Amino acid sequence: MPKPLRDKLLVSNDTRYLVVVREFIARMLRLSGFTREDGNKIVLAVDEAVTNVMEHGYGRVDAGVIEIEVRSEDGQFLVVIRDSGRVFNPVSTPPVDVRAHLRAGRKKGLGVFLMRKIMDRVDYQLKDGVKNELTLVKYAR
Amino acid sequence: MPAFRIAKENLEEGITLFTVQGFLDAHTFEELAKEMSDVFASGVFKLAVDLSGLEYISSAGAGVFIEAIGTAQQNDGDIVLLRPSPSVKEVFDLLGLSQIFTIKESREDAVKSLRVRV
Repeated sequence: MPKPLRDKLLVSNDTRYLVVVREFIARMLRLSGFTREDGNKIVLAVDEAVTNVMEHGYGRVDAGVIEIEVRSEDGQFLVVIRDSGRVFNPVSTPPVDVRAHLRAGRKKGLGVFLMRKIMDRVDYQLKDGVKNELTLVKYAR
Repeated sequence: MPAFRIAKENLEEGITLFTVQGFLDAHTFEELAKEMSDVFASGVFKLAVDLSGLEYISSAGAGVFIEAIGTAQQNDGDIVLLRPSPSVKEVFDLLGLSQIFTIKESREDAVKSLRVRV
């Protein structure tokens, strides 16, 4: 079993850094022994979560920092995303009926749909001093 | 490879081929949306989109196609996707988009599929 891993990345609120986030998560997944197939999906789920922070938490114009912490241990890959933007709880959004959504040409809510579909756990907490803290967990198969 | 690149080519009267390469995410999707909107504004609603060089797509990128296929089909057109990589195809599968979009393996098949659409 791979050794426990822990690392953290800080990025500014700018979508140009999404590629940096994806590379960071992909590297941690490789070191954690996740398959490429599972890894691709987890990278996508984290991209969707960070994109939501950029679009809804801070918005396109606000300056801000997003902290992405990864802990990989005991067969689980845990990603904690913290930001100090506007309160945004993706977990509170109702589940999307994707078929109806797509028929209507709607695209909002697909990111949260993917996060829930890919990850085994998606938790949100509003924390003093940090504000938004989203935790994504995937268990090794 | 650059982070994102789009090329456009008229395959025949009324059919435009887009070639999309790199990463289609929340940082790059607006560029593709604008290019597609410009083609629609010129009166062309039949699009083939070559995805063989697309390394990554998120829901922001998929949203461009969701929005565009509605416009295309409302104007007797369509969007046919060409050769998505397994990882890009998987995102379409996760979102249920593989049932909405026609996916072809060759440019000729894409053109044939778009020609029959009246």
